[in-house]
Amino acid sequence: MSGQDLLTISPLIAAILVAVAVLIVDLVAPGRREPALATALLGLGIVAILTAVAGRTPGQAFGGSYTVDALTTFLDLLFISIVALTIAFAPDYLEPRDLPIAEFAAVLIFALTGAMLIAASTDLLVLFLALELMVLPGYLLAAYAKRDSLSTEGAIKYFLLGSFSSAIFLFGLAYVWGLTGSTRVADVAAELGKIASGGAALSPGLALGLAFMTTGVAFKIAAVPFHYWTPDAYQGSPTPVTGYLSVGPKVGAFALILRLFVGALGSLRGDWLDVVIVLAALTMTLGNLVALTQNNVKRMLAYSSIAHTGYMLVGLAAYAGGRQEGLQGLLYYGAAYTFMNLGAFAVVAALQRRPGVTSSLDTFAGLGRREPLLGILMTLFLLSLTGIPPTAGFFGKAYVILAAVQAGGPLTILAVIAMLNAAAAAFYYLRVVVYMFMREPATEAESQRHGNLVWAGLWTTSVLTILLGLIPAPLLSVVSDAARALGS
Amino acid sequence: MPGGILTLITFVPLVGAIVIAFLPRERPDLARFTALAAALLTWVFSLYMLIGFLPTHPGFQFVEVADWIPAFGIQYKLGADGLSVVLVVLTTTLTWISILASFGPIRERVKEYMISFLILEVGMVGVFLALDLFLFYIFWEVVLVPMYLIIGIWGGPNRIYATIKFVLYTLVGSLLMLVAILATGFAFQDAHGGQWAGAFDFEQLRAFAGTTGFANGLQLGAFLAFFLAFAIKIPMFPFHTWLPDAHVEAPTAGSVILAGILLKLGGYGFIRFALPLFPDAAKTYAPVIIVLSLIALIYGAIVALVQPDLKKLVAYSSVSHMGFVTLGIFIFQQQGLYGAILQMVNHGLITGALFLLVGVIYERTHDRTIAKMSGLSGRTPVYAATFGFFMLASVGLPGLSGFVGEFLVLVGSFAYAPAVAGLATLTMIFTAGYLLWMYQRLFFGEVSAFLHEIGSHLTDMRPVETLTLVPLATLVVVFGLFPGLVLHLVEGTVTSVLNGLGRATAINLLFWQ
Repeated sequence: MSGQDLLTISPLIAAILVAVAVLIVDLVAPGRREPALATALLGLGIVAILTAVAGRTPGQAFGGSYTVDALTTFLDLLFISIVALTIAFAPDYLEPRDLPIAEFAAVLIFALTGAMLIAASTDLLVLFLALELMVLPGYLLAAYAKRDSLSTEGAIKYFLLGSFSSAIFLFGLAYVWGLTGSTRVADVAAELGKIASGGAALSPGLALGLAFMTTGVAFKIAAVPFHYWTPDAYQGSPTPVTGYLSVGPKVGAFALILRLFVGALGSLRGDWLDVVIVLAALTMTLGNLVALTQNNVKRMLAYSSIAHTGYMLVGLAAYAGGRQEGLQGLLYYGAAYTFMNLGAFAVVAALQRRPGVTSSLDTFAGLGRREPLLGILMTLFLLSLTGIPPTAGFFGKAYVILAAVQAGGPLTILAVIAMLNAAAAAFYYLRVVVYMFMREPATEAESQRHGNLVWAGLWTTSVLTILLGLIPAPLLSVVSDAARALGS
Repeated sequence: MPGGILTLITFVPLVGAIVIAFLPRERPDLARFTALAAALLTWVFSLYMLIGFLPTHPGFQFVEVADWIPAFGIQYKLGADGLSVVLVVLTTTLTWISILASFGPIRERVKEYMISFLILEVGMVGVFLALDLFLFYIFWEVVLVPMYLIIGIWGGPNRIYATIKFVLYTLVGSLLMLVAILATGFAFQDAHGGQWAGAFDFEQLRAFAGTTGFANGLQLGAFLAFFLAFAIKIPMFPFHTWLPDAHVEAPTAGSVILAGILLKLGGYGFIRFALPLFPDAAKTYAPVIIVLSLIALIYGAIVALVQPDLKKLVAYSSVSHMGFVTLGIFIFQQQGLYGAILQMVNHGLITGALFLLVGVIYERTHDRTIAKMSGLSGRTPVYAATFGFFMLASVGLPGLSGFVGEFLVLVGSFAYAPAVAGLATLTMIFTAGYLLWMYQRLFFGEVSAFLHEIGSHLTDMRPVETLTLVPLATLVVVFGLFPGLVLHLVEGTVTSVLNGLGRATAINLLFWQ
């Protein structure tokens, strides 16, 4: 370890320090939310600045197991925004339920360190450790309302299936390590490159290893048919946690895919093309079909997040089909999805501020009259999730579709399937709009006051949702740099 | 002519919408008049554009270009040719009329209504002016959301079913069109050595289509996707089933815009994009589309004949009348295309007026069942006369504008195939049948018991209502006597579209590679 190494991983160290600082502040001033929140948000600001600074000098640390490049910076900043926004949305929901806020923020920031490590790791073992570091706090958060049986049930399902999939992933990793002789992504890639160029055959053991790793990752991103834990975990968790779970670990798992499947197994992409196409088609279709029948908005958004995984997989499939644009589309979609989905969950959480309010569709009845601004913002997020221009969600969809069309062949059909899915999804997203603006509430609910942090977060997500749709050029250049960092 | 006039026409309504958003909720009148002012201002600007437009000048005028997403060659590019100018002026005219017509009927959530209406105008005008396929798509979708809200919030009892049906139908078509747009742009990029510049620029794409031409496979697929999007919007048989529901549930002004402009987006899309970009595919599919148009013509008329609901009758008459538009476009004849364009304008004016008139009676009786009304002419003579005027225009009485468009399409289709012309002419008899019968049931005979009950509420037309109809009636007469006013403007468009098609040959569906 050298001084340079420490400098390279300084954002990671800073994030850990921030989490610790939040806990210490809570010890010093127990029961008061402001100091802890201020520490967390300020600290995250510092981490973001450090990330941006460190990102200007791409390089590696610890003998090539930790890499800082454009992709790392992009993903890190995305993770930081996810965590910061979640911390902004949470207090209004947690406080009335007597759930501690400082611990919540600290646990989230620990998860952030895991996600940031995934984005930077170029070693399979570090990748696995980072993955666990990211998901373990997630289990905690899912069970955060520990007296709520639904929350506990969801968390246990999440934990069991999560550990199960981690084990499968690790099992596959062991095979790959054994048969390629290294855990460094670059070495594995070189070894597999030989196979791809015909210099060696793909041994059954290696194929098995790859299959296990694919399965493990498919669990993590909740791709069909490995999605069964999602709806229960999402519905049971406290709503701000659900918002985080639907975005943070998902983008994190996609970061893992980029580092692993693109970085290490990229040369074999022709071999996993078919698998990704089938996964993508199944995931979006099933996610959408089941979402159509949901009467609970949280559960509906859970299934819809499965569908969005499918759209992102279209980008991955386009990459496997030979188009670099697929990765760019995937990254763009990831960013767009982050803000629109967090925003939508934030509105649900804001409505549920008073304990006892469910997230059923009826809660939304008459919202447009009761709280017009909240209704309009929710409409914006839902339109973006549907993919109506000029919003971030539209441009994300257009991007992955463009990549798929460029790859051509079976991917054109996949693009058509994706668009038909988007049309079907319009039905359940717009149903929420119907309840908000076109139906009268069964019982008159009172309008509620929302904290400044919630409004700040909602404004941030909504402005970004519009800006990423209207002026996509800046983010486009960022994602194309990030995709280029992975090599072609 | 100063630069930026097209941007001005497109975005003045948006400015109006933003202003209304900040007006106090307790003062609905402020919102009403601000909306009207914004719409009138837009109208004035569009007239200014009409005056500055040079019909003899080939190509697009007032073109504005700015890079938007340079990485993919996507531009903010607006421009107008004769077809755009005509349809933009139609849009701006019908918009202020509709806003004025909403003053009375819309009493709830006036602010939101007016904002929706103005954003709707942004989308419609944008569609007619966009010269970049990506930009066009964005405006195309922008139209969807306000219309969804207008039907869903201010519509009739079954409005939620109707509005969701409207959105889902339209989205299926338009999302597939997005795939086709991206595929077309990529094909252009691929043929230009991977350079994205101009890949979504309509003029460059058209030039490419006219010289090298897109590959057969792409043409067949992309045309199909464009066709689906436009056919649903027009709507062509068998994609029309959303229309009667949407019309019946929509508030009066919503119906006016739906029939007057939204249906024209489909016809415009065919003429502007589908034919010039994929001429070979257009020739390939044309026979099928002509058959569908004939079915729409006859089916729409027959179904209109048996409608008990006045608004549904007018809605089905739209299906029938729009059949003339698609027929006129796809026979690839000069007269046909002129007729189709003229028919789009006339249908916008006449059917828009008919929906306004249906709204007048609905305001008073809260009912639209034809069987419940009779003898209206004695109680409301001015209304009866006005209704009669537009009804005859819709029938296609010579001297009024409805006649000229249909006549030109018939002339064109006779040159294409006499049998087609024969069937289409048959429709005109049906049209006269259902409209005259409807008129007779409504206005002649004894005053019905239902109308007696309404009593003194059954007043004749109010000044505002007359005010909304006078401009439409004037235009119907003017275009009926001097159709050349419109035809002269669109000459350049028609020539260029037919030139492009002239070089095209149908693709052999069995042996294309």
